[in-house]
Amino acid sequence: MADPEDRNTGRAGQFADLSALLTGFDRIQLLGTGMVGSYLHAIDAALPEGVLDELLDAFGHLPPGDGAGAAVGAGAGAGAGTDAEAREAREAAVSSAVLDDPKLGPVARNLIVAWYCGTWTALPDGWREAYGTSPLDTDRVLSAEAYQAGLQWVAAGAHPAGALQQGYGAWSAEPETSKAPKGART
Amino acid sequence: MTGHETYDVVIVGAGVNGALIAKQLTRARLRVLLLEAGPDTASAFDGYTRHLDHFYSASGKGPESAWPQAPNAPQPDTADVRTGDGYFIQRGPHKYASSYSRLLGGSTLHWLGVSLRMLPEDFELRSRYGVGRDWPLGYADLEPYYRSAEWEIGVSADAADQQHLGIEFPDGYDYPMRRIPPSYSDRVLAQAVDGMQVTLADQTATIKIRSYPAARNSIPRDGYSPAGAVDKRLEAQVLGQRCAGNTACTPICPIQARYHAGKTLAQAERRYLTVIAQAVASKILVDPVSGVVQGIEYQRYEDPDSPRHTVHVASGRAYVLAAHAVENAKLMLASGLGGSNGSNGSKGSNGSNGLIGKGLMDHPALYAWGLAPVPVGAYRGPLSTSGIEDLRGGAFRAAHAAFRFDLGNDGWRPATGAPDTTVADAVRKQGLFGTNLRDHLAATLSRQVRFSVAVEQLRSNANTVTIDPRYVDPLGNPRPVISYHIDDYTLAGMAAATGVYRQVFQRAGIKDCTGRSESAWFPEASYDGTSFHYHGMGHFGGTHVMGSSKEDSVVDTDQRSWEHRNLYLVGSGSFPTMGTSNPTLTMAALSLRTAEHMLVELTK
Repeated sequence: MADPEDRNTGRAGQFADLSALLTGFDRIQLLGTGMVGSYLHAIDAALPEGVLDELLDAFGHLPPGDGAGAAVGAGAGAGAGTDAEAREAREAAVSSAVLDDPKLGPVARNLIVAWYCGTWTALPDGWREAYGTSPLDTDRVLSAEAYQAGLQWVAAGAHPAGALQQGYGAWSAEPETSKAPKGART
Repeated sequence: MTGHETYDVVIVGAGVNGALIAKQLTRARLRVLLLEAGPDTASAFDGYTRHLDHFYSASGKGPESAWPQAPNAPQPDTADVRTGDGYFIQRGPHKYASSYSRLLGGSTLHWLGVSLRMLPEDFELRSRYGVGRDWPLGYADLEPYYRSAEWEIGVSADAADQQHLGIEFPDGYDYPMRRIPPSYSDRVLAQAVDGMQVTLADQTATIKIRSYPAARNSIPRDGYSPAGAVDKRLEAQVLGQRCAGNTACTPICPIQARYHAGKTLAQAERRYLTVIAQAVASKILVDPVSGVVQGIEYQRYEDPDSPRHTVHVASGRAYVLAAHAVENAKLMLASGLGGSNGSNGSKGSNGSNGLIGKGLMDHPALYAWGLAPVPVGAYRGPLSTSGIEDLRGGAFRAAHAAFRFDLGNDGWRPATGAPDTTVADAVRKQGLFGTNLRDHLAATLSRQVRFSVAVEQLRSNANTVTIDPRYVDPLGNPRPVISYHIDDYTLAGMAAATGVYRQVFQRAGIKDCTGRSESAWFPEASYDGTSFHYHGMGHFGGTHVMGSSKEDSVVDTDQRSWEHRNLYLVGSGSFPTMGTSNPTLTMAALSLRTAEHMLVELTK
């Protein structure tokens, strides 16, 4: 049986793959934040029991894209066009199976915001009435580390305010853009 | 009541003014007691870092987010402006939207660091334009003290950039550090905007994006040694000797490259300085016949979370209130000194002129935000590095308020709560996810442009800080009761500033996104059919006005009380007018001038 904490094969690995698909960042970049484990725990705790498993299960049942289901690194050896197409297919699938789902959609969007901003947002009242609540389902910054790890700063080509300083005068240089590279990702 | 201590000088308040005066006096071997109402949690690096963690974990990242309230020394919080249940009792009609902090280091722990001098014409508004008041001293009187202040607090700028609108420097003078490099965003905007002409009240002005003097460490000149982080350990002091672009001057510079008053205190002569934190000055004790101050009563609390305290009296030959424009007025009024007796609103108790607490000002400010046609690199560098200064002075001031533009380097953050709100909007409203989301954010966040336009406000005796026995804090000290009105002079300035920002946006191809922000709330003021959403700049002023006679002012040019000759009230409370410069540098210059005067008086 797979170790649930294993970042490649276990639940954490599945969580990282789902997160990569939802955020548009590479799995390897998400692992590099060091936040996969703590987000898994924090989001589990912010949801009624079993909901995150349902989300991961729905993700596990998506039709596999070309090579995407195996979810290894930055698409080494695969043609760029193929990977981009595969990713597009996976995004279409996750859209209908997860994001459009009344129960899983709001959770997935919270997961995206958590990765980008390091915050958890209380689920809508209607959702809580229908599917239950957790005492930790409140508006908050997940942790000081989560704030600093927010992907929004990377997307902006910047750095979190008050952390990861870029050095004297760096702000005078033209910014690096951080668009998702075409293809070459899972 | 326990204990009775005697010093040469007792100073109330360990902010920039108290620190500067304490440093000058102790270095001249005068014994100084410095009382600070709030805690001393930031003067060692480990404690400072706990404030940084507090900021990281805070849901709102506003100016106070790193600096929590001390219950026994409560402070205003901009988050309370909307609910009205904060430290201030707001009487209206407009909300006073600024805040300050009560702890060792004061509000300089979260200021932006803009260190502009006031313009020569700012001191002569009445003579030149028939509005406001003239100061009892002029630019030439203050100029040497501006230089001292720039070297004391450590200002980065090139004098060659700063000679405009009558600002002059003596031959050979330059700032202690080179100017902070302008941001990429500044350069992109300058390319589009420099040289464009705008018209204010029939006067044409040419505008230019200009680097402003900042109290942030840069490359030193002439052997100047930048003061880094405050700590006993050398390895901590090395931190912050250059700005590293943390994009968090407000609320907390992680490396202390931006000046705060703790740096000045660390340079005081410690053998002559006694600092007592968690000591709230509660009453000024005055000889009823001579008006001479005999002591300051203060409440010392051990446990910040408990109102239990002991009462003490500190005595000196002279006393300095450096507690903040609002706190200075509050303490005077709570001591029965200088307030209005209420019946005619002018004549005060003790035969004073009733001006204490009257004339409260700020720089009510507007945000303007939009999307540039190309990435400008938002969210990098000091929170801002340049401004548009050309509309701070001119003949139009006879008709409406002057203003200055601060060009943000932090995207829409203060105006809308971005980047978080930009993400939330993309995910929840636009339904974006995956690579489309990432691409959208990359394309959007880096193009966010934000101006903050600070507008001058003139003195009005209707804008007041008073006290009311019904409203007290946990130690029984009064909470400030604020009446505040933004008049047509300022509102017309806001209207003119709005016209200018629109022209600038148009010229630079910036798509205007300014409007009601769902995630951020700002108070409103209406003028001529337009509703302005304004915020405070934290630029409190005018509560113990300086003047040339005891009939129309509280302090003289030395910030010495007319009524109580061994008492000094220092800070922006002394300002007769605010001009458009951020007040800290001018306060610092005035405090250095006051310290010089006190040295003469006390060593006679």
